[in-house]
Amino acid sequence: MQAITVENLSKTFRVKRKEKGMYGSIKAIVHPQTEEIRAVNGVSFSVEEGEMLAFIGPNGAGKSTTIKMLTGILYPDGGKAEVMGIDPTKKRRQLAYLIGTVFGQKEQLWTHLTPYDNFRFFGAIYDLSERETERRIGELAERFGLGNFIDTPVRNLSLGQRIRCEIVASLIHKPKVLFLDEPTIGLDPVVKENVRELIKEMNKEEQTTIFLTSHDVGDIEKLCRRIIIVNDGRIVMDDSVEHLKHHYPVKEAAQANEDSFASLEEIIVEIYKSEESS
Amino acid sequence: MLTAVKNQLRVCLLSIKYNMMREMVNKVAFLTNVAFMVLNNASILVQWFILFRLRDDVGGYTFREILFLWGLIAASFGLSHILFARVFSLSELIIGGKLDAYLVQPKNVLASVMTSATDVSAIGDFMYGIVLVCVCKPGVRVFFLFLLFTVTGAIVFTAFALLLGSLSFWFVRMDMFSNQLILGMVSFGTYPDGIFRGVSRFFLYFVMPVGMAVWHPVHVMTNFDAGMLFTVFGYVSVLSVTAAAVFYRGIRRYASGNLMEARM
Repeated sequence: MQAITVENLSKTFRVKRKEKGMYGSIKAIVHPQTEEIRAVNGVSFSVEEGEMLAFIGPNGAGKSTTIKMLTGILYPDGGKAEVMGIDPTKKRRQLAYLIGTVFGQKEQLWTHLTPYDNFRFFGAIYDLSERETERRIGELAERFGLGNFIDTPVRNLSLGQRIRCEIVASLIHKPKVLFLDEPTIGLDPVVKENVRELIKEMNKEEQTTIFLTSHDVGDIEKLCRRIIIVNDGRIVMDDSVEHLKHHYPVKEAAQANEDSFASLEEIIVEIYKSEESS
Repeated sequence: MLTAVKNQLRVCLLSIKYNMMREMVNKVAFLTNVAFMVLNNASILVQWFILFRLRDDVGGYTFREILFLWGLIAASFGLSHILFARVFSLSELIIGGKLDAYLVQPKNVLASVMTSATDVSAIGDFMYGIVLVCVCKPGVRVFFLFLLFTVTGAIVFTAFALLLGSLSFWFVRMDMFSNQLILGMVSFGTYPDGIFRGVSRFFLYFVMPVGMAVWHPVHVMTNFDAGMLFTVFGYVSVLSVTAAAVFYRGIRRYASGNLMEARM
């Protein structure tokens, strides 16, 4: 079964334009000018249940906008999306019970509360009974190793501990699909590795579909079998990580390396560059 | 349906409880905030006391009615800021793209946003309003009406702030305009309506809802009129429905954002 299906999804933002300096500011009041930016432009793809997909691209490519449309945060201008058979624009609340989100750059946790209190709050949000919430907290705290700091206010935790708590909060209701938007941003290599292992384990044990965006090639290599690359709001590549690594004709990287195959990072950089120049 | 409402209420109450816990982390700041708000309000009443030593009525109001007016506006403003403080900074959330966390939750987004913050000094306003009316020895019926109008007044404040804040989905920098109108509502609401005539009176009843938040209620408290009472109820309902409709219409235009942020 398909966990996610997307057909011709589009989103345009209207952005204000202002000339330089004070004159520009005054002119913008009298004669405001706007420009339309197509963040997502007719994107189509599907994701199987239990699959771990990397959805990557350079900054401003439309990754986060796509995630936000799939989770019901943004309304698309055109096209259709379904997550677990639900249209996010029509049944946002119903969909929310089936998905989890982790935005590496945005915290969902209350910083003055302990992770434990936060998880209880999230349990209430997802209508879990007290008993079920306690059971789930115990289970996830053990798996994610939160025992030492589960009663410490979130504001006193390290970034790695916080991210682990963010992930646990998003898993409290056993979501079918987990959207991870740069979950390892700012983490040190050891913590990154730890977080990746936990995501992998969860996918294996709970069959959670993972939709990952990340600029960290390590995340993609360690977690995902399939990769979708977007640029300028369009899909420029949809392939398996293995196939891409062994069959993408990299010029610069192949010359620079003695190995017969270029690294995934080199391939991705080359794709970004060729897209930029075209 | 009933279970959904019950669950929503549970989350809203938890949210208010956690907000209070956050504000009470610093006990000294919490208590001084509350105490100074009471003192601040009380100091202004001295002017009215002096004025009423010179005249018997101002704009058709006696000193007792002025106390009702102050009590009602302080309690309504306080209640709306204790329970729904976030509505008063809604523009900031919309412009800064900070509604994402509420939109991915399986709960009513408006209720979740509204109850996501509390203003601790508003407890001082609320307590001050109650004490002020008690000082007037209002009697059971008037005190009951006062409590009722505190709730309707709080709804008017909240709905008006929601309406203005929701305009940020269409226009940027609505926060300054919105703040000015809310502050104006409080300022004008502490004067008797009899001193306003013509355009200003029309403005204060139909553009800035001071009339329905405090003046009509005070008239009902001092001279009961069922017609006026139902006018207030009707106005509160229409304003609330309109504000919620504008918010939900606007949310389709929400543009989110990519700023680094924390839920403080």
